[in-house]
Amino acid sequence: MKPEPNGDLSQASDEELVRLVCLGKRELFGHLVGRYQRSVYHIVQGILGNPADSEEVLQESFLKALQHIGGFRGEAQFRTWLTRIAINEARMRLRKYRPKLHDSIDEAPEEGMDMRPRELRDWQPNPEEKLAEAELARLLEKAIRALPSIYREVLVLRDLEHLSNEEAAQALGISLPATKARLLRARLMMRDYLTPHFQHRWHHRLLDRFAQLRRHP
Amino acid sequence: MIRCEDVLREVSNYIDTEVTEDLRHQIEEHLRGCHNCTVLVSTTRKTVSLLSSSRILELPSDVSQRLMQRLAVHWS
Ligand SMILES: [Zn+2]
Repeated sequence: MKPEPNGDLSQASDEELVRLVCLGKRELFGHLVGRYQRSVYHIVQGILGNPADSEEVLQESFLKALQHIGGFRGEAQFRTWLTRIAINEARMRLRKYRPKLHDSIDEAPEEGMDMRPRELRDWQPNPEEKLAEAELARLLEKAIRALPSIYREVLVLRDLEHLSNEEAAQALGISLPATKARLLRARLMMRDYLTPHFQHRWHHRLLDRFAQLRRHP
Repeated sequence: MIRCEDVLREVSNYIDTEVTEDLRHQIEEHLRGCHNCTVLVSTTRKTVSLLSSSRILELPSDVSQRLMQRLAVHWS
């Protein structure tokens, strides 16, 4: 589609907006910001886990994208290109301010680690009903923060932002098999973390049974 | 015949329906006879769905406003 210069651009494709921004209509970059600010914030928050750092990195990511928009060649989707910038900015921030704390992005073992889940206890049928929405969100954020950063990155891209495996691999600059291997590990670690909060407890089952018996003796 | 370790290695791909038809059948066959793997698949799937449906790491509106203000300098 070819929107008129002053027409409604809310329906224009990302690529069309990028083209117009490059032609000098820089204010149209605001549409792209509107589309992806949530997603970029998710990603940098997921990596950094700290609202103040995340806000700065959010701003820097979009500034960098605007500065370098002429270098966007369209071999990836705009979103993937932007995501890659945001990931790099967030990683740089981690290295710069927390060199000691930061768990190695490049050196974590991909294979050979024992992945057997410790918990094979089943969950309650509707775990989301056990906690209030805000409480559940806090628990999930805590669980994400507990992951080493390479797993946090892939989990946020795939399961929060719903990028495909291929897009996530491109954004992370790693191979497709490595992406899938990290995602597997990340999901299993999340599951392990959450299990104690949601598992069926034998004494609850017993109490339920008891309550039933009392209702229908 | 696939084993529990194979299910563990493929659970994430299985949930994403990124396994071949043949492997999917083999996994489902295994699940019918293995309680542990059934729990593994269902709880991992639930983990993924909790993440997708929850409202976490939300962008606060003041953060969004400051972002636009900072960027607008570059086009006004
Ligand atoms: Zn099994």
